[in-house]
Amino acid sequence: MIEELGWVSGALALLSFLLVCTLAGRRVTLARAERRRVDAEERLRPFALGLVEGDSISLPPLNAYESRALAVVLTRYARQVSGAALARIGAFFEDRGHVTHELSHLEDRRAWRRASAAHALGGMAAERAIPALLKALTDPDRDVAAAAARSLGRLGALEAVEPLAYALRDGRLPRAVSAQALLSIGPPAVPRLRDLLADTPSEVTVFAVDLIGLLGDASDAPQVMALLRDTSAEVRAHAARALGRLGAEEAANELRRALDDRIPFVRVNAAHALGAIGDAFATLALARQARVDGFDPAEAAARALARVSPEVLEAVASAPGAGPHLAQAADVAQVQA
Amino acid sequence: MSVLQHAIVVFSLISFGYFVVLNAVYLVFTGIAWRGVAHHRHLHEFSGAEEAFASPLTPPVSILLPAFNEEAGIVESVRSLLAVRFPELEVIVVNDGSTDSTLRRLTEAFDLAPVRKAMRSTLSTAPIRGSYASRKHPELWVIDKENGGKADALNAGVNAARYPYFCAVDADAMLESDALLRVAKPILDDPDLVVATGGIIRIANGCHVEHGQVIDVALPRSRLATLQVVEYLRAFLVGRMGWSRMGSLLIISGAFGLFQRSLVAVAGGYSTTTVGEDVELVVRLHRYLCERGEEYRIEFVPDPVAWTEVPEDLGSLARQRRRWQRGLAEALWLHKRVALNPRYGVFGLFAVPSFFLLELVGPAIEVIGYPTVIAGAALGYLSVTFLLAFAVVAVLVGAVLSLAALALEEINFRRYQRGREAARLVAMALAENLGYRQLTTLWRVLGSIDAARRRRGWGEMRRRGLGYAPARGASRGR
Repeated sequence: MIEELGWVSGALALLSFLLVCTLAGRRVTLARAERRRVDAEERLRPFALGLVEGDSISLPPLNAYESRALAVVLTRYARQVSGAALARIGAFFEDRGHVTHELSHLEDRRAWRRASAAHALGGMAAERAIPALLKALTDPDRDVAAAAARSLGRLGALEAVEPLAYALRDGRLPRAVSAQALLSIGPPAVPRLRDLLADTPSEVTVFAVDLIGLLGDASDAPQVMALLRDTSAEVRAHAARALGRLGAEEAANELRRALDDRIPFVRVNAAHALGAIGDAFATLALARQARVDGFDPAEAAARALARVSPEVLEAVASAPGAGPHLAQAADVAQVQA
Repeated sequence: MSVLQHAIVVFSLISFGYFVVLNAVYLVFTGIAWRGVAHHRHLHEFSGAEEAFASPLTPPVSILLPAFNEEAGIVESVRSLLAVRFPELEVIVVNDGSTDSTLRRLTEAFDLAPVRKAMRSTLSTAPIRGSYASRKHPELWVIDKENGGKADALNAGVNAARYPYFCAVDADAMLESDALLRVAKPILDDPDLVVATGGIIRIANGCHVEHGQVIDVALPRSRLATLQVVEYLRAFLVGRMGWSRMGSLLIISGAFGLFQRSLVAVAGGYSTTTVGEDVELVVRLHRYLCERGEEYRIEFVPDPVAWTEVPEDLGSLARQRRRWQRGLAEALWLHKRVALNPRYGVFGLFAVPSFFLLELVGPAIEVIGYPTVIAGAALGYLSVTFLLAFAVVAVLVGAVLSLAALALEEINFRRYQRGREAARLVAMALAENLGYRQLTTLWRVLGSIDAARRRRGWGEMRRRGLGYAPARGASRGR
């Protein structure tokens, strides 16, 4: 037994020694690698800038490391430019074979490699990669699907709107990722999002209406207003919130009606929306809701009233039985005046 | 064989058995943690916190800061919270009947004015004396209440919180500016599944702090605090990561945790009958959700950082550790029926029994084991050579576990940039098992005894406050 313990001690001592050596070695290696990276990027930055600006530049012969460093710099620029400059970056990556290289990695058996490739293709402005990235949205690994979604957003891929919404519904993508991808695509995604408002599962409708609220304009209001009478409370609540974001004054009547919805969450959003629209006709209804409703709808109504009419708020807050929410809103308005 | 000899030999065998089980569990957890942290690091390359910051769909968060006699560091702590990057948040400081100048300092620093704040009555708390809003920072609220303890103050914060999630932060903690975005990431990704997350606590002693932010990360000058750096790295990067990956995270540090407000409220809020209100809440959430058959996750996230001050004197450290152990023991005892109950899945069948065995029973075995095996060797019942060989193995296993945690830190986060500091951490990882570990184990046993005797109270910790900046290079000169 003692002999065995001796062997175990030896093994542990060796392991400790190796761990210490690894720590020290890694520190030295990382410091060197960092210096090398900074040097390479510094040296290649003028070439990268020239390429983005469309100057006729002749690249010096690059080794594999420098080639990767240039790609990193250009990928960084690709996130900050658009139009012709972005197209030039895309062309560079295409000409150099980077796009083909990363596309081949989308089929790799290691999930992290597929995710890395999906991520890189978005930074390379590689429109040719859109079909492969759409396919990657159905990858069994969630990280790969998320990386593909982000890249599709960066590439402004309109054809990704519907798959992104359904990938979210099926739990293949985090909501934040799908939403951010569509926000990256921007207002051009709105017509396709409008198509998702009718005859779709409620999760998809909620997602689409949220995004329309953020990316759309007043012309989208009628379609969203219709959803205030949807059978799903989630849909009604998100439609109310979206109408507030759109500043849809024509929805004020319907939103005032939604203040009487039986679901508190819908009433909260209706109050928010009326506050955002600044509907002067809603002051009495908001004051009443702030006085008599449950905590969250009452607080939302008091805040909305503060936005719509500080004068009415001051008057109703000092009346007997005003309740804590109107009192809070009035005090806060005074402190922040 | 005499009864004494029999007893000593049997207990020695139990001690050795405990040692083997404990270290086997830690070694497995180290492996799990390596995978977990590596996965997190890969993921982080593709999904920065910026995405959540930029998204208008990120749900807002209420930060709750309970404060009792925190005049030394309260202003810096609040400043650090106001500097946190998040699309929409509010900071609610709950002054829990402080007898020092905590409220006055807050009023002066943030230009507070009294307001009538609407508060829920979901959780009962000690009476509220008043509420304040800041003229300088519209997102800052201060609730002044009669003293009721930390849990009571947090419950008042939950009642006052406006947003669907709240982040509980200790008054002596400073969040890094993107800590909230990072700790919220699992919730943002899976809002229907993830109900709570916790970040890592790092030690601010020795760091250069300005305006509530750690500007320069450095090791503490005190050896005792540096030993705690190694201990925290192992506890968080290995222990919490391991439990989290197994779906059985039992502890989200009270210093930094994010929770779904409605769930905490419906589960009854923080317990005011234990000093381990943070552990107890997480255990209760597990229990509540398991009993309802709901699918859920409670996760540890390794990169969001809250910096906190740790004790630099043995007395304060002993009181802190006894209190932690008392809290853990009280929480586990309160939910003892969960242990070995298949209804609670991995949480009931593995996590809770493991905590009972390794965290409550284990330290007692260890503390009794030391004198027993020494007595056994002195009386000739145990082989001295065997005992010495075993002691060497024990120290080396401890060193390997601590070095593995340091390696995790170095490869993935590398917060301590100076080579001399890394060397000092390695030295502490090796030295930790020669005295410090035994001392903390003794305090844990005393903490369990405190729990059994139903002792109350928190105990004092001597603090310097986080606003001070150590002389530059001071820690390097050692």
